[in-house]
Amino acid sequence: MSIALAIAGRELRASFLSPGGYIIIALFLFVTGGIFAMGTLATGEIASMRPVFGIGTWLLAFIAPAVTMRLVSEEFRLGTIEMLMTCPVREAEVIIGKFLGAMGLLVVMLAPTLLMVLALELHGRPDYGELMCGYLGLMLAGAAYMSSGVLASTLTSSQPVAFLVAFFFWLGLGVGAKVLPMHLSDHWAGIVFAIDPDIRLRDFTIGLIDTSNIVYFVSISAVFLIAAIISLQARRWR
Amino acid sequence: MIAAHQLSKHFGGQRVIRAVDSLTFEVPRGSVTGFLGPNGAGKTTTIRMIAGYLPPSQGRVLVDGLDVSEHWREVRRRIGYLPEAAPSYAEMRVHEYLTLRAKLFSIPRTHRQAAIDRAVERCWLRDVRARPIHQLSKGYRQRVGLAAAMLHEPPVLILDEPTVGLDPAQIREVRGLIDELKGDHTVLLSTHILPEVELTCDRIMILARGRIVAQGTTDELWEAAGEGGYIVEAASENVAAVVRAVPGIADVSASPLAEGNFTRLHVTAIPNVGDRREAIAARLHEAGIVVRELRREQPSLEGLYLQLIEGREMQSRQSSQGVAA
Repeated sequence: MSIALAIAGRELRASFLSPGGYIIIALFLFVTGGIFAMGTLATGEIASMRPVFGIGTWLLAFIAPAVTMRLVSEEFRLGTIEMLMTCPVREAEVIIGKFLGAMGLLVVMLAPTLLMVLALELHGRPDYGELMCGYLGLMLAGAAYMSSGVLASTLTSSQPVAFLVAFFFWLGLGVGAKVLPMHLSDHWAGIVFAIDPDIRLRDFTIGLIDTSNIVYFVSISAVFLIAAIISLQARRWR
Repeated sequence: MIAAHQLSKHFGGQRVIRAVDSLTFEVPRGSVTGFLGPNGAGKTTTIRMIAGYLPPSQGRVLVDGLDVSEHWREVRRRIGYLPEAAPSYAEMRVHEYLTLRAKLFSIPRTHRQAAIDRAVERCWLRDVRARPIHQLSKGYRQRVGLAAAMLHEPPVLILDEPTVGLDPAQIREVRGLIDELKGDHTVLLSTHILPEVELTCDRIMILARGRIVAQGTTDELWEAAGEGGYIVEAASENVAAVVRAVPGIADVSASPLAEGNFTRLHVTAIPNVGDRREAIAARLHEAGIVVRELRREQPSLEGLYLQLIEGREMQSRQSSQGVAA
């Protein structure tokens, strides 16, 4: 675990040694801040961050692949993977380290939004249960997006390709889950509804903790991370 | 100690490329072994298999008696590996990078700083330890790679072209460092710079097209390289004929020089005939030929190397023609 944490620390620091990390965080805060100012801070609105969480999960689907695209593909492009994989480390430690580094960036990105919570506290009486539930949803969605991005990054040395693979996967899943059920029998439509991430995220936004939703995101993240580990192992055999 | 047995690596699907073809060799403990070969001979692939980066297609590698694939973690702890071009995380500062490496090698926190200080001293990095790696020159980056390879004090060092891109002074420093390591470290050094091998290595392996074409101690290879010959320069047209008549001379080739009317002779003696310089000088004196140079030509590793490599290329060309026919 200490090796994974060392790699996570390196990745997190690397995000802030180039403008990339700052730009991503600034974009996220700009959009969520704007939504908060317009949607929540207006007269008569309730003290809730629902609009912020709603847009946040969509933004993450776009931002997460931008964070993760570099993680493994850059190691292959620069040849540093050789230096890394001749250290006494497992592929699993590398992948989990990189994933944790990306999640660290997500935490850093979400931390300033606590100022919005403070604003709610000053001007109203927010429901902290609902807020925590919303943040949990963002973290879980982030984990699923980031882990898919890590997998995409192990598949190619090209960062743009890694970005597009991860982004279009979630876009396809989200859009597909809206469109497909109209053309399917009830049985199949039910299955497609079950894999729609959007419905599940809406539950978190309104303060509803459903175990199946947690299981959904945790298991998706686990599957992607395991696939990424296998993909990294396989790349050396080619 | 490193031992490879029938080590092979094949790449590709339908058209299989045999990058490394059943290598069997040993690098004895405490020796510095030079791994020579032209580009594309399979040096880097072999080294990557020893370092545990590439899994072999066939055969196995043992480091200190441990199989690289089975006991990978233990083997990697024993190896310090400097990959070709010394890749590192360029955005990090030198000491940050070394700290990361120390963590990856699970060097305990209490020993970490001492290990880093030692590597920094050994690789002359003290002045740049707080600088980001991307600001450093190629020579310094190479040293960072060396420091990273030596950080965990491995008994085995594998250096892939450690002096590429360095200036002569830096090359001398690296050579000095390798000399220091001699004895208590086993070093495998890949290069295509022959003088480097002649100066630093006590054993040599020559690889061509994925196969070992020669290996042994430096002395053994010098012997295989032959006795060398003699160089004669004189201003006379029949000097070649005179020298050819000296007993013990096998062959003489003459080439006219541009300046004056001097001729340079490359003289080959019959093996084991002993030094022929006196006999040549005496005969030239008798013939009244004025000589401006008469010296022994040392047998060169380069000659042997080229001979072996060319021989190997010729062979493979013939065999591929055979297949085509």
